[in-house]
Amino acid sequence: MERQTLPREELEDLYENAPCGYMSVQPDGRIFKANATLASWTGFQPEELHGKRLSDLLNIAGRIFFETHVAPLLRMQGFFSEFALDMLTARGERLPVIANAVERRDPDGNLLFTRFTIFKAVDRRRYERELVQARAASEEARRDLATTHAATEAVLKTEREIALLREQFIAVLSHDLRNPLASLSAGARLMLMAKTPEDAAKLERMMQGSVSRMTKLIDSVMDFARGRLGGGIALGEKLPFDLEPVLSQVVDELVIDNPERRIEKRFELTELVVCDRDRIAQMFSNLLGNAITHGDPDQPIKVHAATYASSFELYVANSGAKIQPEAMAQLFQPFQRGDVRPSKQGLGLGLYIAAQIATAHGASLDVTSNDDETRFTFIMPLTR
Amino acid sequence: MSDAEMHAVSIRERNNVQVRGNGTKPMVFAHGFGCDQNMWRFVSAAFETDYKTVLFDHVGAGKSDLSAYDPAKYGSLHGYAEDLVEIGQELRLRQAVFVGHSVSAMIGALASIKAPDLFESLIMVGPSARYIDDGDYVGGFSAPQIEELLTFLDDNHLGWSAAMAPAIMGNADRPELSEELTNSFCRTDPDIAKAFARVTFTSDNRADLPKIKARTLVMQCSEDIIASEKVGEFVHTNIPNSKFVQLKATGHCPNLSAPAEVVAAIRSFA
Repeated sequence: MERQTLPREELEDLYENAPCGYMSVQPDGRIFKANATLASWTGFQPEELHGKRLSDLLNIAGRIFFETHVAPLLRMQGFFSEFALDMLTARGERLPVIANAVERRDPDGNLLFTRFTIFKAVDRRRYERELVQARAASEEARRDLATTHAATEAVLKTEREIALLREQFIAVLSHDLRNPLASLSAGARLMLMAKTPEDAAKLERMMQGSVSRMTKLIDSVMDFARGRLGGGIALGEKLPFDLEPVLSQVVDELVIDNPERRIEKRFELTELVVCDRDRIAQMFSNLLGNAITHGDPDQPIKVHAATYASSFELYVANSGAKIQPEAMAQLFQPFQRGDVRPSKQGLGLGLYIAAQIATAHGASLDVTSNDDETRFTFIMPLTR
Repeated sequence: MSDAEMHAVSIRERNNVQVRGNGTKPMVFAHGFGCDQNMWRFVSAAFETDYKTVLFDHVGAGKSDLSAYDPAKYGSLHGYAEDLVEIGQELRLRQAVFVGHSVSAMIGALASIKAPDLFESLIMVGPSARYIDDGDYVGGFSAPQIEELLTFLDDNHLGWSAAMAPAIMGNADRPELSEELTNSFCRTDPDIAKAFARVTFTSDNRADLPKIKARTLVMQCSEDIIASEKVGEFVHTNIPNSKFVQLKATGHCPNLSAPAEVVAAIRSFA
């Protein structure tokens, strides 16, 4: 069999034209030998590289990294593999590389010089940077997801609370309807046994009272349903009214029910107000009822209504405990009953309906509360 | 275990404090950005016959307790200086010699201003009061260059975690280094390293220099691209009782590249 003649590999050629860059660096950081491959990659003549400081071939970030990480590790362990560097070419362009380095030491362990092997790593570094970016993006996505999750949890929590309030609402409604219904039933039975027309008339008044309590409850529920489902409370025809007798009547009605409470009213109504009179009365009644329920019973409730050049303003103010900030945010939401004795609890719809009536009139209903007083203020622009 | 003892354990463990040597006078060595107390391995041993040597890792480096890393506290060099003062209190150090490399020169200065009895002298190796140029002041770097460094550290992120461990573990001919380095370097959290880089290279301690009461030695390396001679001279000029010594050693880490020269300079001053 004939032997093939293999090409001879010259060591000098292997060093100079290896598919990687070689350089040897003195302990003072100066290059004293570099191969032709490295010279061609960096755009220098081989003799130009001799005597150059290694740091001259690096960008600023690379120099700092080299001094703070590569050089110390080389001294400690004698080698350092696979570190990334950005070299600078003769034309000032960036050449991303991966490098290995090994120290050559004398028998006493003193450093003679350091050998570096340089691999071009343009694509690899781009790929690695993409990986870093992808990780950053995935980290950001994870954070976004966590935020979304937290928001969903919050919504779910609110919905659960509302569901609970609805259940309580239904319980309160059934309870409140059962009492006047029982009165009506009793009244009907007693009517059969009434001996005199006076007795019958007395029973009839009592039964009318029960009917009107039930009517009010049912009206509230209807208003709530309209407000929730129909995009706001519907108003009747808006006409110009002198509101003073309307408001006075509301005050009188509530005084009859609560004779022990003092209500200081002040009306300065010089203009007619275009509005749904019954709805304004309902709103005022809700606000005043709220003040009676929650206000300090020993302090008077202040009511003030006035017309100005371009607005009608009405406020109801009571003394008593300040409304807590967390309760403030929920005040005009349905089913908010506040922290009161069970006997005083209503459906928790009064302020919600009041706010709906204000909205339907293009007006604002705001509340301020501090240690001195809690004040609800209704402001409606006057149209002429 | 009493509360005081618990506290003692936690400071020693937090900063991986190592006390050696047969002397009574304490000499505290502090490492800079990029490595850990191993930076002093060729220098501190030379003082073990005459001194009590104290070495430690800053929180976030080496074998420190990474769980003690608080981004707010270590968002300024004062957080690191507080740790140094606590180490001094824990070991009941007074009138010690402090040897700080690179950014730790300023950490030692801040600690000596906070606790004047702690150090009788400060030895600063390659110090800089500010790395970023500012008007007439030459720090050596521009702000965008420092930002580039922080991005670049991300580039070596993968290099650290993926490639470093096998490379170090394959260090068969010097096995005594293997485990030590593997453990310390692989445990360094890249995010903490990046935060420390930011704190280091954006620090400005020029106003603190005149407040230093301890006698101070500024050890300046040749051809140091991180702390140039101008920067070292600025530090020397602004510290009232300071001496300047120019080393023949080149680069930023003479404690590793020229330990004999550093040892001699410390001996002639301390």
